[in-house]
Amino acid sequence: MTTWDQFAQFVFSGLTTGSIYALIALGFCIIHNSTGLVNFTQVDFVSLGGLMMYTLFLGLGLPLPAAFVLGVLAVTAVGGLVERLTIRPARSREITVLIFITIGVSILMRGLFKIIWGKNQMALPSFSGDSPLIILGAAVLPQSLWIFVITLLVVGLLHYFFSRTRVGKAMRATSFNPRAAALMGVDVNSMILLSFALSGGLGAVAGILIVPITTLSYDVGVMLGLKGFAAAILGGYGNVVGAVVGGLVLGVLESIGAGMITSTYKDVIAFSILLLILFFKPGGLLGYGEKQKV
Amino acid sequence: MTRKIATLLVGLMVATVSQALAADPIKIGAFFSLSGPAAAIGTPTKLVTMMAVEKINKEGGINGRPIELIQGDAESEPTKAVMVAKKFINVDKVAAIIGPDLTDLGMAVKKMVEDAHIPTVMTVGGDPVIMSGGPLGTCHWVFKSPQRSSTAVEKLYQYLQKNNLKKVALIISSTTFGKDGKTWLEKLAPKYGITITANESFGPKDLDMTAQLSKIAAGKPDAIVCWTTGPAGAIVSRNTKQLNIKIPLFQCHGLPDPKYIELAGAASEGNMMPATKLMAWDQLADTDPQKKVIKEFVHLYNDVYNYNTQFPINTHSGYAWDAIHIVADAIKKAGTDPAKLRDAIEQTKGYLGVSGLYNLTTEDHNGLGQDSMNMVRIENGKWKLIP
Repeated sequence: MTTWDQFAQFVFSGLTTGSIYALIALGFCIIHNSTGLVNFTQVDFVSLGGLMMYTLFLGLGLPLPAAFVLGVLAVTAVGGLVERLTIRPARSREITVLIFITIGVSILMRGLFKIIWGKNQMALPSFSGDSPLIILGAAVLPQSLWIFVITLLVVGLLHYFFSRTRVGKAMRATSFNPRAAALMGVDVNSMILLSFALSGGLGAVAGILIVPITTLSYDVGVMLGLKGFAAAILGGYGNVVGAVVGGLVLGVLESIGAGMITSTYKDVIAFSILLLILFFKPGGLLGYGEKQKV
Repeated sequence: MTRKIATLLVGLMVATVSQALAADPIKIGAFFSLSGPAAAIGTPTKLVTMMAVEKINKEGGINGRPIELIQGDAESEPTKAVMVAKKFINVDKVAAIIGPDLTDLGMAVKKMVEDAHIPTVMTVGGDPVIMSGGPLGTCHWVFKSPQRSSTAVEKLYQYLQKNNLKKVALIISSTTFGKDGKTWLEKLAPKYGITITANESFGPKDLDMTAQLSKIAAGKPDAIVCWTTGPAGAIVSRNTKQLNIKIPLFQCHGLPDPKYIELAGAASEGNMMPATKLMAWDQLADTDPQKKVIKEFVHLYNDVYNYNTQFPINTHSGYAWDAIHIVADAIKKAGTDPAKLRDAIEQTKGYLGVSGLYNLTTEDHNGLGQDSMNMVRIENGKWKLIP
């Protein structure tokens, strides 16, 4: 392998994990925008996506596209339930209290997953085989291509949803000022419910896409979720485009750090750069800086 | 009312049964990672300890006294392991401790059991728990039943030397277990005429090692040696296949497990590793004295207790069995006085266990030699002994 081929390999590897970070970061963003919360159950949405896929695809033997769609829908519903059952009853409380509630729910969900799916590691087959394609001298798994394509698709749909549809605009209005939105006739409660459902769906997509590469366990989303959270901050917490950019940048940084410098300190390298960026641009790459949300 | 009577009756029954089992049980504390990332190793280990204790008690216990096993969950976390060990020592006042199952956890509780003078047989992979000096402290009271990392490294290097694979690239997990393996891989390389051409590492929860592996492949080594436990090993195997690397991949003695084949899939084909004889035991020569012991163990595990439905037998399965038996044999000889019990464990000679023939000495608190291991290769999704 030439140095160039190696470099291409690092970039493709980085983009693969980076896309997943981006999807998770998007989930964090959407809930933040509608409620101002950091929703820690996001990491479990990711695990649950993978676990549902395992049950639907391998357990019940559904065809892959059906399992994919059903899996995402199921986690979307769980996302809605989390909001309806745990966040809404307590919503008059302070933000800090709500964040702690999400931590509690996250621990509860992980415990349930452990009871239902067990502690063993599981494996899911890739969507379309394991023979790598050679692109620009780098070996790329078909699964990585699926990840790129579906991430792009999801980001495109989200963009359309938020900028063109009535409901999307109403959600944005809620995120700017819930009170004003309510006065304009927007049903704020539904918007918040929708944001949790949407985040659940996004987490599930991320989980379903990545587990054929990483193997699956009841807590597979925790590490990914942490990185996704970092990506959201890197991009500017709450910024949708920033979440995508942050995810991709973090993934590529990790991969290049491991390959070109030293794998022993790959997280140190990635997170040092993250800190440096935040040092000079506290709002994140595409953040609004110190500006207060209205 | 009926419920109350039922409860009373059950209580009475339990009381009489336990009285029949002699009044004075010997308490042994056993703790493994029943939750957390290592739960898949810890949970079957716990089941095996229960199986071993039940067998010993059924056969009349130790000198007429039954063993009472007190279980704890180390949660794959050093702090939790320390808390459980503290409880064993101060509250339960156990005669001996079995476990924990991870090198990190073993190192965390080592000093405590040393200070409390409790004979402890761990089921950890790494050697530092039975090494002394400097930051490692003492290891007077600590033993371990799985082969030393150095034993596994020598087994592996012998194979490499025999097959003329001289340039070796390492890819190592950043855990205590990984670092221990790395120490021995580096230390023993010259003895077998091996040069280490690359030294990469990864976190135990990392999801992608292609960056490290493409760097390794660029150096064109004769063999890649990966040292880790858990799913990360399977990811290394998958990534190797993904990058179309044809260099043979060797894993450590922590990975022989049907789970590995399941997780790595077709990529695992041709991977080689040192393993206990428990893997591919049916391929052992009939003259091997261990074959009979293993056969009995496998029969109990698979057919009597049916543990295999949830946790198929892997290379680790026998370690807790051997740990319990070594302790039980020593109690039989020396009683439960801590110092005498410790000496008796240290003097264990010729115990033929599931994991090998144990001959402990003052210097060697493990007692297994290279003859307790075999090299295995994955062929058509099955474990195959290789000479």
